[in-house]
Amino acid sequence: MKRICRFILTVVLVTYPVILWAQAFDEPDTVVHTSPEPVHSDAAPMDFPQPFSLSAVSGQHEAPAIIVAQAIVGEEVPARELATFTGKEAPEEAEEEVPLIADPIAPFNKAMYHVNDKLYFWLLKPVTQVYSHTVPEPFRVVFSNAFDNLMSPGRVVNNLLQLRFKAAGNEFIRFIFNTVAGIGGLGDVASPALGIKKQEADFGQTLGHYGIGHGFYLVLPLFGPSSVRDGVGIAADRFMYPLSYISSNELTFGAAAGIFAGEKVNDTSFHIGEYESFKDAAIDPYIAMRDAFVQYRQKKVEDSKK
Amino acid sequence: MSLQEETMKKYLMGIALFLCMIIPLPAFAGVPLETVKVHVDKVLDVLRDPALKPESAKKLKKERIRAIAEKMFDFTELSKRTLAQNWSKFTPEQQKEFITLYKSLLEDAYADKIIAYTEEKILFTKEVPLTEKTAEVQSTVIRKTEEIPIYYRVILKDGVWMIYDVVIEGVSLINNYRSQFREILVNKPPESLLETLRKKVKKA
Repeated sequence: MKRICRFILTVVLVTYPVILWAQAFDEPDTVVHTSPEPVHSDAAPMDFPQPFSLSAVSGQHEAPAIIVAQAIVGEEVPARELATFTGKEAPEEAEEEVPLIADPIAPFNKAMYHVNDKLYFWLLKPVTQVYSHTVPEPFRVVFSNAFDNLMSPGRVVNNLLQLRFKAAGNEFIRFIFNTVAGIGGLGDVASPALGIKKQEADFGQTLGHYGIGHGFYLVLPLFGPSSVRDGVGIAADRFMYPLSYISSNELTFGAAAGIFAGEKVNDTSFHIGEYESFKDAAIDPYIAMRDAFVQYRQKKVEDSKK
Repeated sequence: MSLQEETMKKYLMGIALFLCMIIPLPAFAGVPLETVKVHVDKVLDVLRDPALKPESAKKLKKERIRAIAEKMFDFTELSKRTLAQNWSKFTPEQQKEFITLYKSLLEDAYADKIIAYTEEKILFTKEVPLTEKTAEVQSTVIRKTEEIPIYYRVILKDGVWMIYDVVIEGVSLINNYRSQFREILVNKPPESLLETLRKKVKKA
């Protein structure tokens, strides 16, 4: 009980100010009509975006929203707004709304993107290739089920927080059934036996469900593309991860890191080649990944409202 | 004829009548879904063909896929929707070249994405009408550890349903390319985007 209270308190205390602060980066809901010309048209290359000024953010209460939007979005003028000016002969069918994300710390994000890129090619991929050759696929599937089963309590809680009671109930039954009948979740027996599929839910999605925006784009080392909101989500989801509640005497930091690495390698073994083909297809992999992240998360939030 | 036989006969006739009533319906309603499914199956056949597996047959494989893609995708619609407002910044010649370059980029990208799923089961689940002339055909790739939703958006052109967007796990292909092209077109002329594409296509 004490644990749960502490968890709720920590989540609220940590989440609230961070989210409030990050909200300043989200685009204002109202359409802001800036000049039709790009603000930084003088060939500001992507690698040197406008210096990001915190004062512009903190002064948001006095400054009209338009200034904040300009200051934050920097080199990336909201194209949706821009479009209303230049689109004289736009295709007949209306363009679909593209979700955008502010990227005020682009230099950091780009650096992290390259770190993750190198981590993949130099470390994760070679290790995974050896692993895949050593461990036959059926075993890897079993491990994948077991790792996934540990995330199940988090999905139950998040489904509950999103008031999706049916999904929460299903995920709860699935967790119990897979843990008992599937021997600690080694087999996903709930899908074939009960016809219950995984009910995806995470805390970043829960925040999005209640109308909280991304804040700004954030590339995390190891975790990859994320945002302030989803970063908070990842942290909060750790509180719903059963292994977080094993004392450090029994589960040392090294062991926990080992489990994390094992999960990552095992998971990657099913996805070798996907990142490569993504990069091959992209004109600008950094932008492509940022956009894919926003679209992917947008879909998750939309799904949570169904 | 015994009573039991009579009941049986009635029962069978009932089934036959019922079947007559339901069978033609999906045949009419499912045109977009059927169209996409047939094309995807053809692409998978090429990718799964053991004769085309070796590296040496790569060129032939690409040609085959290209021929199917031509009938499967509406590349003009794709290009227009991708460039959106920027489309009008291109001269007709530039538009033409853009379509050609974008086409070969997409063919490779699509083949690359779908090739990862050649061993998996692909289910076509349903179709959702979007507007009068557009629909979304939903499919799922069943993998060992997950399910991946792939949605095809199709448009009716001259009585044929053609794909103008592929949405994988909520990520729309044209939206993704639009954001990349926009980044270039904000500061640079259309010619510079074409140059980037030329280089990209040549490398592949």
